[in-house]
Amino acid sequence: MSVTPPAQVPEAEEAYSLRTGAQELATGFLVPLAATLLAFLIGGLVVLLTGHNPITAYRAIFEGAGFNWPYEWLTGQDTRASGRDLQQTLRTATPLILSALAVAFSFRCGLFNIGGQGQYWVGFIFALLVGTHLEGLSRPLHVLLCVAAGILGGAFWGGIAGFLRATVGAHEVITTIMLNWIAIYGGKWLFELDGPLQGAAPSLPRSEIIFDSATLWIIWSPYLHAGFLIALLALVVYYVVLNRTTLGFEVRAVGFNAEAARYGGINVRKSYFLALAISGAFAGLAGTVDLLGVKYAVDQSDFDTNFVAFTAIAVALLGRNKAVGILLAGLLFAALSTGTSSRNLDPDVFEPALATDLATMIQALVIFFVGAELLIVYLWRGTRRYARLGRPPAEEPAPL
Amino acid sequence: MADDAPLLELKGITKRFPGVVANDRVDFDLRRGEVHALLGENGAGKSTLVNVLYGLYRPDEGEILINGKPVELGSPRDAIDLGIGMVHQHFMLIPVMTVAENIVLGVEPTREKVLLDEDAAEERVKQIARSFKFAIDPHARIENIGVGQQQRVEILKALFRGAEILILDEPTAVLTPQEALELFGILRTLTQEGMSVIFISHKLHEVLEIADRVTVLRRGKKIETLPREGATQEQLAKLMVGREVFLRVDKKPAEPGEPLLQVEDLHVLDQRGLPAVRGVSFEVRAGEIVGIAGVDGNGQTELIDALTGLTKVQNGVIRIAGNDITRDSTRERFDEGIGHIPEDRQRRGLILDFTLAENIGLHDYRNEPNSRFGWLRPGRLVTLARRLLKEFDVRGGGPTTLASSLSGGNQQKVVIAREVERDPRVLVAGQPTRGLDVGAIEFVHNRLVEERDEGRAVLLVSLELEEIMSLSDRILVIFGGEIVGEYGPDVTEEELGVAMTGGTREAVA
Amino acid sequence: MIDRYRNFRTVAAVGIALGLAAFLLALPPFTIRTTIVPIVLGTGALALGLAALSQGERRLGGFAIGVGFLGTIGGLWAQGVDEDTLGAVLTGGLLASTLRFATPLAYAAMGGIFSERSGVVNIGLEGMMLIGAFFAVWGSVWSGSWVVGVATAMLSGGLLALVHAVFSIHLRADQIVSGFAVNLLALGLTGYLYSSIYPEGTTKGQVKRVPSLENAFDFLGWVPGSDLSLLVWLMFLVVILSYVVLFKTPIGLRIRSVGEHPRAADTVGISVYGIRYAAVITSGVLAALGGAFLSIGFTGRFTENMTGGRGYIALAAVIFGKWRPGWAFVATLLFGFGFALAIPLQREADISSNVISTLPYVLTLIAVAGVIGRSIPPAAVGRPYVKQ
Repeated sequence: MSVTPPAQVPEAEEAYSLRTGAQELATGFLVPLAATLLAFLIGGLVVLLTGHNPITAYRAIFEGAGFNWPYEWLTGQDTRASGRDLQQTLRTATPLILSALAVAFSFRCGLFNIGGQGQYWVGFIFALLVGTHLEGLSRPLHVLLCVAAGILGGAFWGGIAGFLRATVGAHEVITTIMLNWIAIYGGKWLFELDGPLQGAAPSLPRSEIIFDSATLWIIWSPYLHAGFLIALLALVVYYVVLNRTTLGFEVRAVGFNAEAARYGGINVRKSYFLALAISGAFAGLAGTVDLLGVKYAVDQSDFDTNFVAFTAIAVALLGRNKAVGILLAGLLFAALSTGTSSRNLDPDVFEPALATDLATMIQALVIFFVGAELLIVYLWRGTRRYARLGRPPAEEPAPL
Repeated sequence: MADDAPLLELKGITKRFPGVVANDRVDFDLRRGEVHALLGENGAGKSTLVNVLYGLYRPDEGEILINGKPVELGSPRDAIDLGIGMVHQHFMLIPVMTVAENIVLGVEPTREKVLLDEDAAEERVKQIARSFKFAIDPHARIENIGVGQQQRVEILKALFRGAEILILDEPTAVLTPQEALELFGILRTLTQEGMSVIFISHKLHEVLEIADRVTVLRRGKKIETLPREGATQEQLAKLMVGREVFLRVDKKPAEPGEPLLQVEDLHVLDQRGLPAVRGVSFEVRAGEIVGIAGVDGNGQTELIDALTGLTKVQNGVIRIAGNDITRDSTRERFDEGIGHIPEDRQRRGLILDFTLAENIGLHDYRNEPNSRFGWLRPGRLVTLARRLLKEFDVRGGGPTTLASSLSGGNQQKVVIAREVERDPRVLVAGQPTRGLDVGAIEFVHNRLVEERDEGRAVLLVSLELEEIMSLSDRILVIFGGEIVGEYGPDVTEEELGVAMTGGTREAVA
Repeated sequence: MIDRYRNFRTVAAVGIALGLAAFLLALPPFTIRTTIVPIVLGTGALALGLAALSQGERRLGGFAIGVGFLGTIGGLWAQGVDEDTLGAVLTGGLLASTLRFATPLAYAAMGGIFSERSGVVNIGLEGMMLIGAFFAVWGSVWSGSWVVGVATAMLSGGLLALVHAVFSIHLRADQIVSGFAVNLLALGLTGYLYSSIYPEGTTKGQVKRVPSLENAFDFLGWVPGSDLSLLVWLMFLVVILSYVVLFKTPIGLRIRSVGEHPRAADTVGISVYGIRYAAVITSGVLAALGGAFLSIGFTGRFTENMTGGRGYIALAAVIFGKWRPGWAFVATLLFGFGFALAIPLQREADISSNVISTLPYVLTLIAVAGVIGRSIPPAAVGRPYVKQ
């Protein structure tokens, strides 16, 4: 009501038409690019202020991520070290991409699922239950069952938030965050000493290890597992479901304008529920491939240190909720993470402890800048008339 | 009444927006104690001009003089300080706050310099209301008082800030004819006290009734300023539109067939849970247009929402061609044969970020041939869209254009195309011409009559009496959530006006 | 209207049922023998009762609260938990510890109310608390004075809030996204600064903590809560002030008008952007005070991500409290109670600390699910205002 454009003024309608061709390109590609550059620039400034050389720091991170591999490979150098680094980057990108799809899918329905981490863990634990039982199954079947269980687990946890949103209108931002903490502490309880799912070693707060038949195949030795292919497949599924199915039509309609979707006959509540459940399924899948391809078991302490799904929010935002964008953004953030890990980053150049936090900061800055198209457009075109750009605010009230 | 030295002058005001010149070197002046009307179609630039005057827009060119001195109007604050007050078309009142709070907002009386002095606020509001002979309860919440009262609060708000120039933007749009007459009375009192009024309207007869002088705007340009004496409706209409206007819609007498829409004792609650529709019964037959006339907020929106399944029915029955659809979902109703042109096409009728093809498929994307087994077939939607866009003469884009890039009139054509294409038995149209220009209005009106002649039952809900009277074969008047009268097409505006304020309620009951 | 009350009668009735269940489940034939059941059920009853109460269903709501309380105690008693245990769980210390846990939430919640009443959603409370917690330590170590610590915390929170304000007001970014970025930024920044400024961590002696009023009460002997930090007492003042400012001053009227109908405020000459900036910055300052309490008011040190989601819980309290300082404060007390129960329960009743740690989050979930749909936010919250 407060921001209805005056009905009489033709320019209110004209303003919409600005979002065509050129601007679509700008917001779709240039803005994320500019946002990334800007974020790195400011991150570099922080590095500089704390007495380090940003250029050598970034270069060390770049090489730590294995991005020099193609160059070394082409020039026929020894690629063993860089190859391993690159594998790690791709391996790290896998759950990032999957969790980012979780965020993106809910976003397309107008919902903000911050609960990826909880859904990740519930999926992880469901898959773990299947992976540590059913001995003697054939490998493809066992893997398939684990994946199904993980997807189900994530969908269940996401579905709770979806159910609450659909029935009592509880805002998903709050509920998913609470569900995160419940999943994290719940997980810590399951695997604590004398916890219900503690493994055989009596003094270790740790789960059993999954059977070999439940592990994912290694596709690039020694690190990269088939989960990366699953993530690529998930990107395709994401695109197809959104753009080529009636379900996707409904989700997008609700996301753009829930009131118009309702008028059109779409069951908005059902869409909310389904979107959060499907969103949770992606996050659950992320946990599953981490288990089957990397971890094989879980330590209680993992629940305190793994926040991959939070990083994934930045990935989804930077990737503009588009499949290709998420792939690229996922690789970038995975590189940031691998490149700053204590194993890959030379502490003489830049301390890894600092670098990890630097990476977090860069992620935050990326979110800021991607979120503020106007800032980028403003920097791009100078001050003239920037206030008139952008879209009229959404009519859907945010009950927060 | 008015002395001749201009109190206010606008000289050569130009205001551009991306892609449009809303005001093109417009001159305007206002004398002390006069009512000066700004007349023009939707989109002629009236609102832009007064928004410039109120400091909401900055003009690209031109100057503003008050008492002969040039002034800078950078914000509403500047305008207020210079004695300009404005009553916006959409009231600028905060529904959850009281009358007094709304009036003193921004100029609050205080105790001990920091605390809000509520008693003083109420006292001063009472005082000023008394001095202008307004009856108003300063303690009431805005959301609990009627529209006419709210408008008075808006006027008081301006007077409280010492306004000498009062701008009223389409003030009668939300009023019944009787309330409009009361408003004119108030305006006459104010001008006698020395206030000057700028009165914006697109209704000719009102302008001729209240204004001392009339300035006509068309497509952002000032066409002429003329005194009321000697001006006629035809002359003003021609100036306003730029050609002869035919306000009549050509149509044959209706040939009503069997009843397609039947409503019995319908009860509906509004968003706050208060009864909004209270025991409404009527029917619409094949091949007739039934108009629902009423002042905004008397249950029309809830009635439409209940018919289309967007809100829950408390009690009563709705039938389409004899089938009870009272408990059906919106989608089921669409499939039963309801077509719905919604009141607000940008909020409801279209998904602006969707392409035209997707918008046209909004109801039928799940049905063959647009999809099969849950798989969407975008090619089919595009083919359908291409045909409809041509048939309905939609300009400004093809099937893959985003709906947001069309003009309002073309957007409305897309909505109508979608609804009519589904061959509905009952077509519910809520304010189908709101915000459209004359050309688009003619298109919509003719199309509605065509649909009637196709044998559909058309229910037209509109706040524009002229529209109701020129299109409807039968007219129902809604007041306070009840149908308080039924009239033939030859009813007079006065009769309807009385009924719209509940005047004939007893007579009907 | 009628329907609304009926709904809350149901909410209260469910609360009463939960309270009764807390007691009955401990009796045959169920004979549940774990203290967590009556406590969770009883607290749930309290939450629902409070929800109903806050929505105008006074009689049944109050009843639900009473039943919840008695049911919990009865349940514990029926389980044969010996009186020592019960006494150890429910002591005066529990009250003090409830206050201690509620204090950071209350600061942040008051901040959240200012921001949201002006129409800006503030998910970033979490980050503003965190940055306040860090800079309180930094200021206190650097100057050797807790006063400076509190001041630097407030300054840092205000600055971080300014970032959120710029992005969500002028640049019209999605306010939730911007708030989330604020949290991430604070997480990275505080972590980075902490490990680069204090590679060895901080020691107790370095950090000057906010004093308690112990000495002031000396002449009375021991007073319950006299060992509480000064910041706890200041919190009460802040809650009262928040109420007065919002509802009894012209500034408050303007803040609320901007949050309800910014264009209406604009047309009477109120600066929408100005008010929103001021409100968001205030919210950052207050949230940072909450953070400062966590570090130099309570634990005496900073740890990475030490807020642990408290900002979000504060936000839930804002919603639960219908954007009113008094009710939001009551909600923070409820959440604080959930936190406070964890310590004695773990000690006395041998329940996994991890299970009990979920309690506040479960409570928040119940509370939000119970009221949010019916708690009406300021009309313009979350929407950027575009000046004409």
